[in-house]
Amino acid sequence: MYAFDYQRPSFSQDAVSMMRSLEEPKLLAGGQTLLPTLKQRLAQPGTLVDLSRIPDLSGISVAGDVLRIGAMTRHAEVATSDLVHAHSPALAELAGMIGDPAVRNRGTIGGSLANNDPSADYPAAALALGATLVTDRRRLAASDFFRGLFETALEEDELILAVEFPKSGPAAYRKFRNPASRYAMAGVFVVRGADGVRVAVTGVGQEGVFRWKEAEAALTARFAPDALEGIALDPHTAMSDLHGDGAYRAQLTKVMARRAVEAIGG
Amino acid sequence: MALEMTGSYDIPVPREKVWEALNDPAILKRCIPGCEELERTGETELRALVVAKVGPVKAKFKGKVFLSELDPPSGYRISGEGDGGIAGFAKGGAKVELSETQAGTTLVYTAEAQIGGKLAQLGQRLVAGTAKKTADEFFKNFAEAVTGETHEGV
Repeated sequence: MYAFDYQRPSFSQDAVSMMRSLEEPKLLAGGQTLLPTLKQRLAQPGTLVDLSRIPDLSGISVAGDVLRIGAMTRHAEVATSDLVHAHSPALAELAGMIGDPAVRNRGTIGGSLANNDPSADYPAAALALGATLVTDRRRLAASDFFRGLFETALEEDELILAVEFPKSGPAAYRKFRNPASRYAMAGVFVVRGADGVRVAVTGVGQEGVFRWKEAEAALTARFAPDALEGIALDPHTAMSDLHGDGAYRAQLTKVMARRAVEAIGG
Repeated sequence: MALEMTGSYDIPVPREKVWEALNDPAILKRCIPGCEELERTGETELRALVVAKVGPVKAKFKGKVFLSELDPPSGYRISGEGDGGIAGFAKGGAKVELSETQAGTTLVYTAEAQIGGKLAQLGQRLVAGTAKKTADEFFKNFAEAVTGETHEGV
């Protein structure tokens, strides 16, 4: 690890102004990606701005039909929250499948979304559930937020404050995890909404999380596991690496989608 | 770890102009994503400083760029190798072929990259996507730069 300065603001607006005034600053959320990167000396920020002591950034609440999760809320809190279980049980289930207990007790929803790792779990939920990301300056729909591999609509000094999930129809997330990293080899989040079915896929796309429109159309026409029989994901658009090639991931995606549909009950 | 990438661009500019641009360090510098410095050190050799940024990773590479298999104005091979210190090394090259068309020039590239050290341990999940994105961005920037330069001159 290279040397860096460290700041721990108590207010989100202080974090934003540090991002503007300091030399080469970097926001630190749960640190589950950033800290290993620093230990490997693959990045050299000037100052880490630690968000962990900003009280407004954590916590879970429900207002009307909207579930609001603070950006610094840990995966373990989401997985075990009664509010999340009542409002969006599939989201709680997803949070409980992320990494291992150590990761779930440190990693945060805001950190995961801002990092936009192409194999992370939360991006699939945000896209399928139509979440809204509330930042210090605007509200961003999940469909506008993800911009490809590790890229988001966030500006350099922009901070996610919370993520809002509208009430959805029945939903389920199924993933095939890499046994070592527990990242998704293929993760599929299916929502059976009043205005149609939404299917978001992570761990597969070369440009990160995406909605599988063909599966959405097939399942909207007829919501049943075998409705997916006739369609296939193009293996050339799927990531290919030492853990599995594109054809393998495309097939896994279909299997995970079918299992999610079975879990919802077609 | 080795990766291969291919792509093709139609550029509405005569082949000689495209060839000139392919040999112009100022244009190459503008088109290589993250390139902070690029200077010619010999007839077919350049020195580069490139910052690679992917998600949390931000590493500086000092490297050399070589031009070979020169066949003006139909193409060449551009290759480079960089040392990112503890981050690892990266080397790669692209065979670039220019053919004349009615609308101007078609540029076809076949690129390959090799990565070692800690960068390689990050896995292809991160590196393959980045290499592909970098190659795509370079040739897209290049096609735009050449088109723009020529139009400005008209």
